Formats: sequence, C-alpha cells, structure tokens
Amino acid sequence: MAAIDCAGRPAREINARIRELLAREEQIVVRNPAGRHNLGVALLEPGRVRFEGSVGYYCAGLSDGATVEVTGSAGWGLAESMLSGEVVVRGNAGNSAGAAMRGGRVIVHGDAAARAGVSIKGGLLLIGGDCGYMTGFMGQKGAIIVCGDAGEGFADSMYETVCYVGGTVRDPGNDTVVEDLAPGDLEFLETTLARHLPQAARRPARDFKKVVSGRKLWNFDRRDWRVWQEAL
Amino acid sequence: MQASGVFEPGVIEEIQRKAETGIYQIRGYGTLRERRWATFDDLTFLPCSLTRVPLEGYREKCSTRTVLGARYASRPVELEIPVMITGMSWGALSYNAKAALARGARAAGSSNTTGDGGMLMAERENSSTLIYEVLPSRYGVNVHHMRMADAIELTVGQGAKPGTGGLLLGSKVSEVIARQRDLPVGVDQRSPARHPDFLGPDDMIIKIEELREATDWRVPIFVKLGATRVYDDVKLAAKAGADVVVVDGMEGGTGASPAILQEHTGIPTLAAVCEARRALEDMGLYGEVQLIIAGGIRDGADAAKAMALGADAIYIGTAALIGLNCNRALYLEDYRALGAEPGCCHHCHTGRCPVGITTQDPELMARLDIDPGAERVANLLRAMTLEIQMLARACGKSDVHHLEPEDLAALSMEAAAVCGIPLAGARRAHEQRAAAGA
Repeated sequence: MAAIDCAGRPAREINARIRELLAREEQIVVRNPAGRHNLGVALLEPGRVRFEGSVGYYCAGLSDGATVEVTGSAGWGLAESMLSGEVVVRGNAGNSAGAAMRGGRVIVHGDAAARAGVSIKGGLLLIGGDCGYMTGFMGQKGAIIVCGDAGEGFADSMYETVCYVGGTVRDPGNDTVVEDLAPGDLEFLETTLARHLPQAARRPARDFKKVVSGRKLWNFDRRDWRVWQEAL
Repeated sequence: MQASGVFEPGVIEEIQRKAETGIYQIRGYGTLRERRWATFDDLTFLPCSLTRVPLEGYREKCSTRTVLGARYASRPVELEIPVMITGMSWGALSYNAKAALARGARAAGSSNTTGDGGMLMAERENSSTLIYEVLPSRYGVNVHHMRMADAIELTVGQGAKPGTGGLLLGSKVSEVIARQRDLPVGVDQRSPARHPDFLGPDDMIIKIEELREATDWRVPIFVKLGATRVYDDVKLAAKAGADVVVVDGMEGGTGASPAILQEHTGIPTLAAVCEARRALEDMGLYGEVQLIIAGGIRDGADAAKAMALGADAIYIGTAALIGLNCNRALYLEDYRALGAEPGCCHHCHTGRCPVGITTQDPELMARLDIDPGAERVANLLRAMTLEIQMLARACGKSDVHHLEPEDLAALSMEAAAVCGIPLAGARRAHEQRAAAGA
C-alpha cells in the first residue's frame, strides 16, 4: 500500500501524487491531512484512498469511481457533485455533505451539518447521527437516510429524493409528506444499514419515517398559495 | 377621455391578470422598459483629426485577438475576436439553437458557453472554445465534461435576475431535458439562487481552487456576476482568485423569469462596466484580471464603447438569438397564437417559439436548420467585429483592446456622471468639475 505524507505539502501537490499513485496502486494512505481543503478532488480511478485524520472543504468533490475513507471528520461540500464511488467519513461532516451528488454513496458515521444532500441528484447519502437544517433541500433524486434526528426545514422543496429518518423530524420542510414504509423501503433500509453501519449503531428499519415531496411546489397552483408563500 | 398617468392601460391589464391568476407575470427576453437611464447610446466616439492620426479604416491592421485568463491558468482562452456567446442552457434553447451557436462561434473564431443544465455533447463537438458554466443548480454537472472545457465559469448571478435562480417552465422540461437535469418531466423547474456548497467570497476561494484541481490548473476560471453592487462584487471575485470576471448588466436576457425581476433589479450595463473597471484599477489588477461585459449588447458600437470603458471582451446572448431569426417575421400565425407579433415577442418561457430557438418541440425546432443558423451567427459575430475595428481604427488604434475612455465623450449628464468622462463640449469630466466646484 502506497503512502503519502501531507506534512509541508500543498493540496495541489498531494492531489497530483494521489492521482499518480492511483493509476498503478489499488490502495493509498494519506497521512496528516490536517484539515487541508480540496483533497482527493476529481478522483477518476477506481482505487481506494484513506485519509488518516480530518479533511477540509470539498474532499472527494467531483469524483467518479474512487473509494475514499476519512478516519476523522470532513469540512464543507464532502463529495459534492460525485458521479460514482463511495466516500466514508468516520467522524462528522460539515455543511453540504453530498451536495448535488449524482451517484455513488456518501456515508457519514457521525453527524452532518446544515444542507446535507442539498440538490442531491442521485445515489445514497447515509448519516449515522443527526443532520442540520435544510438537509435534503431541493433534492431531485437519490436517497437520504438519517439515523438520528433531522434539523429544521428537513427535505424542503424536494422533487423525487426519498428520505428516511430514524429519529425525530421536529420541523419538516415545506411541501413534505410523511409516508408509511412499504416492504421495499424496509428491505432497502435493512440492507443498506447492515452494509454500511456497525451493529451497535443501527436502528431497526421499522423505526424510520419516510419523507417525500408533496409535489405542491412542482407546478404553481394558486390554491396552494400558502405553500408558495412559506417556501424557503 | 384621458387615461391615467399612474394606472396606464398596461398597468390595468397587469393588475387584472394578477387578480385572475394569483401569480406574478413570467416571461422571457429581458427588460422591456423604455430605457430612461444612461446607456451606450449616451456616448459617442471622438475619432482622430489633427491631434491623433487614424488608421486606414478598411486596410490597416487592427488586431482583434483576445486572450482571457492568463492570471493562473496554464492554458488561457485565446480567441480571434472579442465577441463571445454567453451561457444559455440547453433546455431554455433547443438542441438546434445550441448546435448552431457553437458552430457559428467556431467559424468566427469565438467561444460559446454551456448554461444551466450541463453540456450538450453536440455543443462540445461543434465548438473550438467551450466555456463550462457551473451554476447554483448544478444540473448536469459532470466532471468529465468539465475537464473537456476550455474555461470554467462559476456563475453567481445573471443580469436579468440577479439574486435569483434559473427558471424553466414545465412545457420545456421534456423527457430528454428532464433526464439531463435529473428532474421529473414537466415540472416547473425553479433553480436555487445560492450554490449548494459555498455561501460567501471566503468559501468561494476554496471553491475556485477545487475547480482548478478538477481541471489540473489548465483552464481559466471565470466568475460571473449579475450587476448589482458591482464595485464590491468585482473586488471580491478578483480577490477570490478569478482569472476573469464577467459582469452582466440589467439589460441582459433570460429564457424565463418573473417580469418584476427583469424590470426592477440590477444596474445598467453601462454603469456596471464603469464600476467593474474602477474596482480592478483600485486593486491594481486591471489588465491582469480580464473583464467580460454582458447585458443587452446589440452591435459593434455598444461593444466598442464597453471595451473603451474597460471590457476585454463582450458576451452576446439575445443578439445572437436574434441573429438566429428570433422575432423574425416568419410563421406569423404561430406568433399570433402566443399573443405576440414579430418584433415584440418575448414568449421564450412558453416553449412555443415560432422560429425553433427557445423550444423543445421537435416540430418547432426543425424550423431552425443548424448550418444556415451557424452561418448567420458567424456572420453576426464577424460583422460586429468589423464594426468594432472600424471605430478603433478611426480612433487610431491598431488593436481593439487599445480603445480607452479618452476616446469617448458623453452625450448626457447622466452618462458623464456614471462614466467619469467629459460631457461633449466640456473639457473636464463631471467628477473633476465637481471636485473643482465648477
């Protein structure tokens, strides 16, 4: 397994080295990331990269195909606009984790801050803990699973993203509907949680609530004026 | 009989429309207001006579080569002409319109820009220089497409509706457009106004660096702003690391927007270019960070005046569509079905464009042939460039980028005050006169 030490190196040099190694190595360890921004951006090879420590903004942003692990926490925009691959954060994630992602999986074992999964267009965002306000805002496709509690304005103004919350949804966003779990939802939750979270961190699938769009904001109708007037 | 000067017939009609529908008016095209503010028409060039020597208007060389983005990018954009095609989405525009714009721009040695909704492959294939727009919606963002582009444009706002996201009504969200944008077919797509993963200029520094990392620091990063607090915004964009700042004035067009935003937000393009130049000069970055000006540029005169005031290049959008036959007197019955007439159609939002430009309807789209359309676009870009050269030569410039404020005089007090150049007949600029107590 190849290793890179970030100490004394700028992100540009570290990324160049990661890409160079990914072209010939299956696994890379990146040590001492020390919260640097833009690490692992635009990884387009299918290898595995493990950041030992915490990373800053946009880690694994604009990636396609790589498997990335962050042993610490991640800053804003984790895996934003990712097309495919998997990004796992063992700690917490800052704002906008999985923003505008189009595919792949983003797994945050801890909490995720505001606007997680904002404008998500595909793939899976799984948050082991709680999420901040406006998580799922304008979600278009894909799935968001929050094992803990959801922050204010959860799932506001969505299109076709399907959200599941294991804890409380104290303040659902505008134009949201809570639906009963169908057998397919239960199976999806059980499989996904078992695959990505340790046994001790899992809730039973039946505890989850399913939140989808009420579709009132999809096309204007003056009878729904209140929904539009209150839209975030 | 006398109509009210307050509640004019058009005002009455609009109030009654709102009372019936319960919604603000949505339309395309850009502001329809009579322009009572200072515009490029309030400026005139001062060609050479005895104090300066002109270049032969039809013969002597006058360079139009335009280089953008050499600040940090290893491969700056190099164009043969300074007039470029602005970002207009595939979705707002038809496939044929996008392909024609790309092909026409290539023929003229210019560039075109993707727009909200990602890259149409035909656009890449038909372009020599393609600018890839990254907007708040992030529709269709694909890192592989981004890496195929010649520049990235990080759009913060647009002139027709600064502070607001894009709008594409359901009639234009066809199956193919819905798939491209990851949306349900037929929804009224209201795009977010804020980027999903950064808020202010400090975050944008990191975002710009991310885009550079994704493109190996090869291509320039443009930052596009709707013209509002231009002086401060341009300084912040330049400080954030933009190679090129694009400022889009309130006369800029749109495929669809609440009319109230088109009519009552933003500042005029003339004022915007003056503020933008001052901002870059005050930072010591004028010339290092290039400035592209957009918003209602109609011809070579507008473009040349904007360049004299500080722009390195010009974006055209609506003018390019007009070049493609927008508002031309063809298919009259279809204009009338929309309640429009050629010359005053602004129904881009309906998706029923009679000339096949702003539509996703295959039958309407077929009315716009790509090759003849491309030729018209190329002709327009070339003619505008010749007009700019004509004015530059008359002012004694061997390069269109050498045009300067001293080549202009103001024809109105407003323009003199906004631009800081002398009113025709006065010897000093308005600012200097005010400072001198004159």
